[in-house]
Amino acid sequence: MSVDTTDVSRETLVRPIGTLSKQYLLALVAALGAIGVWVFFYLQQLQHGLIVTNLADWGSGGGVPWGLYIGAFIWWVGIAHGGIILSAAVRLLGMDRYQPVARMAELLTIAALTCAGVFILIHVGRPDRLVTSVLPAWPTRVQWSPLMWDVTVITAYFVLTATYLALTIRYDIHRLRDRLPDQLEPVYAVLMVGYSEREDAIVERMVWWIAFAIIIMAPLLLHGGVIPWLFALLPSMAGWAGGVQGPSFLSIALTSAVSGIIIVAASFRRAYGWEELVPVEVFRGLAKWLGFFGLIFLWLQLQQVITGIFAAPTTLQHATEVKIATPVYWVAIGLVLAAMLYVFACSLRPSLFSIPVLVALSFGVLVGTLVEKVLFVVEGLQHAHFQLYDGVPGVYVPSPVELSALLGTVGIVVLFFLVVAKVIPVVELHAIEAAHEGGDDA
Amino acid sequence: MDDEGRLPFDDQSETEMRRVLSETEYDTDLGLEMARDAQRVVAGELSDAEFYARYHEDMLEEFGQDARELPELRDDLDGEVVSETSDATSVRESLAALADREDVSRRELLAKGGAAAAALSVFAGAGSGSGGEHGDTPTDGDGTRWGMVINLNNCDGCLACVSACSQEHGLSRGANWMYVFTYEDRNQDDENFLVRPCQHCTDSPCTKVCPVGARHTRDEDGLVLTDYDICIGCRYCEVSCPYGVNYFQWGEPDVPDAEIPNEHQLDDRGKWVGSRPPEGVMGKCTFCVDRQDGQMGEERVGTTACEEACAMDAIHFGDLNDEESAPNQHLHEYRGEQENDRSSFPDRTEHTVSTFNLLEERGTSPNVHYIGNEPSPHAEQVEGPVSYEDVGLVDDRSEVLDDGAAANEEGEEA
Repeated sequence: MSVDTTDVSRETLVRPIGTLSKQYLLALVAALGAIGVWVFFYLQQLQHGLIVTNLADWGSGGGVPWGLYIGAFIWWVGIAHGGIILSAAVRLLGMDRYQPVARMAELLTIAALTCAGVFILIHVGRPDRLVTSVLPAWPTRVQWSPLMWDVTVITAYFVLTATYLALTIRYDIHRLRDRLPDQLEPVYAVLMVGYSEREDAIVERMVWWIAFAIIIMAPLLLHGGVIPWLFALLPSMAGWAGGVQGPSFLSIALTSAVSGIIIVAASFRRAYGWEELVPVEVFRGLAKWLGFFGLIFLWLQLQQVITGIFAAPTTLQHATEVKIATPVYWVAIGLVLAAMLYVFACSLRPSLFSIPVLVALSFGVLVGTLVEKVLFVVEGLQHAHFQLYDGVPGVYVPSPVELSALLGTVGIVVLFFLVVAKVIPVVELHAIEAAHEGGDDA
Repeated sequence: MDDEGRLPFDDQSETEMRRVLSETEYDTDLGLEMARDAQRVVAGELSDAEFYARYHEDMLEEFGQDARELPELRDDLDGEVVSETSDATSVRESLAALADREDVSRRELLAKGGAAAAALSVFAGAGSGSGGEHGDTPTDGDGTRWGMVINLNNCDGCLACVSACSQEHGLSRGANWMYVFTYEDRNQDDENFLVRPCQHCTDSPCTKVCPVGARHTRDEDGLVLTDYDICIGCRYCEVSCPYGVNYFQWGEPDVPDAEIPNEHQLDDRGKWVGSRPPEGVMGKCTFCVDRQDGQMGEERVGTTACEEACAMDAIHFGDLNDEESAPNQHLHEYRGEQENDRSSFPDRTEHTVSTFNLLEERGTSPNVHYIGNEPSPHAEQVEGPVSYEDVGLVDDRSEVLDDGAAANEEGEEA
């Protein structure tokens, strides 16, 4: 079933660009404030080193050298990948129903990848060397280091997504130019360099192929590949090894990305009265995907727990026992489970469905997936195969410095959407055009 | 073994040799004959030249190569050569004993007796199922490969090695590049010790995962080092290491740069790999790379600070590929010292000394070899006879790091 949004006016589409509300300013202040808090703490880290975090050496020190920073990195990359997979699926599989949220998903990908990059930057001890050390080493290290695979694939991904976005924006800007603010003319001029309407058909095909590449790359290579391989390939930690990490990471990525899109789309819908542009059917559809991905997520967790406790090798068994004895793990599982159950209940009784409830549950899912990812990293490091250290497992609670980065990156995403929404339409023009019939009536 | 240092070629051993040889692709009679003559070479009854003249063509026919071109066969002599064929001792020990009597270096004699070695290796290759491909010492190929044999039976847990290491490299408190566990284990009443430097693995996960190649294996001698100039401080090496030997420099180092002379920091390639790391960079045991490069004098090449400090003769550092090196010699001597009544118990293996590599099943090929018992999965670390605090060290580094973080926060408020 497709959702007909073709009679929505172009004024509705560009509504965020022309208006300025109190809520907008409030959100802007909140986002800047969040970023400010993080910058304040990060300056301390720059000044004193990573000693201001609660990270420490594993081994005789009993700490964890990777913690919230890496957990949040994986989480943001997951959101990013899931977002673009959804957008690419819309284009490839003709899932027109989701056309109104496709661009938001793409924008979320860009913002989330940026946040993932921020976490790498603040995670390393020598951020000043990220360029001077990484670039010269690339040709010789890329075939070895899973971290270099990550950097490579994520960079390629960022470029693909940005290209995808830039190409599709041109079509819209050209046709909506008279409704866009003149002050931003220089920005549009850059975005529209060399544009002619003859490129539309070509771009359409190019974008199809980019979407195709994304669909191939993201599940197989990125969140089902290099990100889990960061852990799954190591000989050191009992809870990390194993082929299930790929599917498991991917399921978490998709679950959190759908939640992210639901929240972004619902926010715009509410802020700009977009009931027609992003109809409730879009959310009902997204909810089903959330329920389905949540089911896969829970199923893969079950796989890991069962194989980890039933006659498993001692170190794996120990790691799994600790995992299931950790209350906050069950909080994470419970949050995803709650969303899944709600979605399935709505399928049986559609009257139960409400967007605010879905949004609240989506927040819960995002908290749950973040907790699961941080636990995966931290508890993984606390249960090495080599068990002799008395200090292991030590205690790790993220420091204010680390937590502030989480706040800061959420601020970055909000700020990103607030700014972008004032410059380009966050919903594709295609969404209100009947079946891509063109759009030369500008 | 008779007085001449020869293996007993009695009926029983000959039967055994025939059995072993018959399972190989080699000619049984030829092998036996060569082994006998090889013994004569060792005993000085037969010259090298005569031996070669006698067997050159046979060797070519049988092995496709003469002994002089078969270093790998000769290497096998370093291993458990005829462990299955000699009742009371090994050929290697015969050769070594002879060398001592004749006052020639063992290595020279081994080289000289290369043909004999080759002949005798037939047995080693065919028979020693338990000896491993490199026999009973950790030799493996040519070139220097620094490593250790640590005799845990000798360790008394005094922590002198930990102190010496910390002092020599200017380590920050709690960054115990050398670390000594005292532990209790199931079915063992005694206190046990495990001495844990970096294992300088041949197949080191840390060098594989390093995104920038800062953690690397030095080609010339197998040392696993960190290039402090390019390390980005991602700590992936630390995460991938199964042994927990890495210590990140979380804050400012306790010992300032100005107090560490350049020659301790730069290796013979001019890379900054020695002494404690700067802030934001990973550090770990370097096997005293400055010593190995001769920066602390020629007499200290082939030694480490921990080895020097060890009064109990537990730590033996040297070139594992050199039969004469301290670790290999210690292994031989220690094995020789242990009672093993094989005349009453002929089925016993040649050695009764327990040796192991730490977490061998992780596939890292460590270059630290232990004599003693491997801690079981049930082992638990306990307070040692000498505590880290007693000798001015910090055991649990997180205490220092927590203090550091708190101090910084207070500093901010002040």
